[in-house]
Amino acid sequence: MMAARTELLRIPLRALRRAGVAWSVVLVLIIGATVAFWPAFQGATSIDQIFDQLPNGLVKALGLEDFATPAGYLRGNLYELLIPLLLAGAAVVMAAGQTAGEEDSGRLELYLAQPVSRVATLLGRVLAGLAWMVVVGIVVLIGQLAFDAIVGLRIDTGLLVATVCLCTLLGLLHGGLAVAIAGWLPRPSLVIGISLVVAICGYLVGALFPLSDLLAPWRHISPWDWALGGDPLVNATDPWRFLALAGPAVLLVLVGLAGFARRDVRAA
Amino acid sequence: MTGAATAARARAVTGAGPAIAIAGLVKDYGSIHAVRGIDLEVQRGEVFGFLGPNGAGKSTTIRCLLDLLRPTAGRLEVLGLDPQRDGVRVRARLAYVPGELRLPDRLTVAQLAESFGRLRGGFDPDRRAALAERLDLDLGRPLRDLSSGNRRKVALLLAFLPEAELLILDEPTSGLDPLMQHVFLELVSEARAAGTTVFLSSHVLSEVQRAADRVAVLRAGNVVALGTVEAIRGRIRQRLEVWFEGQPPAEALRALPGLTAARLDGDRFSAVLGGPIQPVIELLARHPVRQLLVQEPDLEEAFLDLYEEDA
Repeated sequence: MMAARTELLRIPLRALRRAGVAWSVVLVLIIGATVAFWPAFQGATSIDQIFDQLPNGLVKALGLEDFATPAGYLRGNLYELLIPLLLAGAAVVMAAGQTAGEEDSGRLELYLAQPVSRVATLLGRVLAGLAWMVVVGIVVLIGQLAFDAIVGLRIDTGLLVATVCLCTLLGLLHGGLAVAIAGWLPRPSLVIGISLVVAICGYLVGALFPLSDLLAPWRHISPWDWALGGDPLVNATDPWRFLALAGPAVLLVLVGLAGFARRDVRAA
Repeated sequence: MTGAATAARARAVTGAGPAIAIAGLVKDYGSIHAVRGIDLEVQRGEVFGFLGPNGAGKSTTIRCLLDLLRPTAGRLEVLGLDPQRDGVRVRARLAYVPGELRLPDRLTVAQLAESFGRLRGGFDPDRRAALAERLDLDLGRPLRDLSSGNRRKVALLLAFLPEAELLILDEPTSGLDPLMQHVFLELVSEARAAGTTVFLSSHVLSEVQRAADRVAVLRAGNVVALGTVEAIRGRIRQRLEVWFEGQPPAEALRALPGLTAARLDGDRFSAVLGGPIQPVIELLARHPVRQLLVQEPDLEEAFLDLYEEDA
């Protein structure tokens, strides 16, 4: 029984190896390429003066405040949109591939015909995706710290850890959404499409709603606001923000498991 | 636990009762009726042929037995257990070859067998080696490099490796060459000798008739015939073609029982034989025959009578 459960985790861990490594490499390259230009922007107050000419709301919406400071530079270039969106993409693609993708291709059927439960099978895939996302998150953190050290970009390590952790959790929340959809609807393109649209809409709500007095209070419906609304590269993060991302992620996985236990498995 | 459930579990332990019991099975996909009310029982230790053209509902029925699909209505019992409630315990005692076979590409045959061994609580490496040799399968080859025939062999390897009580094989020989079909029939025969129940679905009559004790014929989600292979064969048409030396005995041929679509074309006589063949042989023996052809019809043609009876 234990051997079967271990195998249900080992199969997707192995299947996700290439994806996990590829996402890690892409993210590290982006971080490296971005941080490499820091010396040119360091203390360049003229950049901030240019941004000061733009409407204040717009600068805020694009995460371009204090662009010449380490925190402002990293936020504006990486942690306002690019890193969280790519982490969400990684989580969604890995989750969809190991659930709806495997089912749609007919490969899941052979495993589900073995003496294992559907819930254990899907859970193994969720945990494997989670493990790879943790790896990708750690690689992002180590990559960021290493490149920062190389170019002399000074940022508080604790704040950076919290920021990468929040971004990874935001990705996992969207991965959870992908599992929830795949649990009920084994169509990989739909699972990926809906999850990424939700991610992008979440970003837009978090970034643009504050520009309007009417919509500003509604920015809190966006998970992006829960994750990054406290400016985690500058301020210490309240613990509730981690829970606000992790809790719904777990709930979404449970929704997916409930659906998958109930419905027909799609034939090849 | 209900009395019925207790009885079912007791039977499961003692091995009494049918291996598969299907009562009133209905499976709809929206407005499509894939299975329209199937009743059948497969006894323990028997090789049961499940025949029907593509789309008749064979795979749907099988996937309900494995709890991959949830029936719209009806009751199922596999080895005395409910596949939906006791799915893990049911599947621990059966092995399955799917009709549409999709394998993880990056593994080798050996790795896949090991992975499934771990899911099933172990496997016998000697048996794996022996089966691979009989199936002429290279265990070290990655699955992505295998032809469809070789992939089919991998499925057979996985099915016969665990020595399960019940084998559910959905179109197991499609894509196999005749030599391997022979190996497959040997494996089925050995499994039966060891007391294994085999549920063998196919759209090829000859495959099932060589292996099965009893056969159910499915059409459009209904069982249209159920019986021994001989009994079913007796109800199946054969195509008859005779070339005579000289003029065929037209009157006598037309008077033969069970002949339809009879045609005389010079010295050639052709017809579809739905009745006994003995009167035909007796008549032909009295006339100079140059060539005689009695053909195995394809499944659609063979079961035309059964379908028409059903309609």
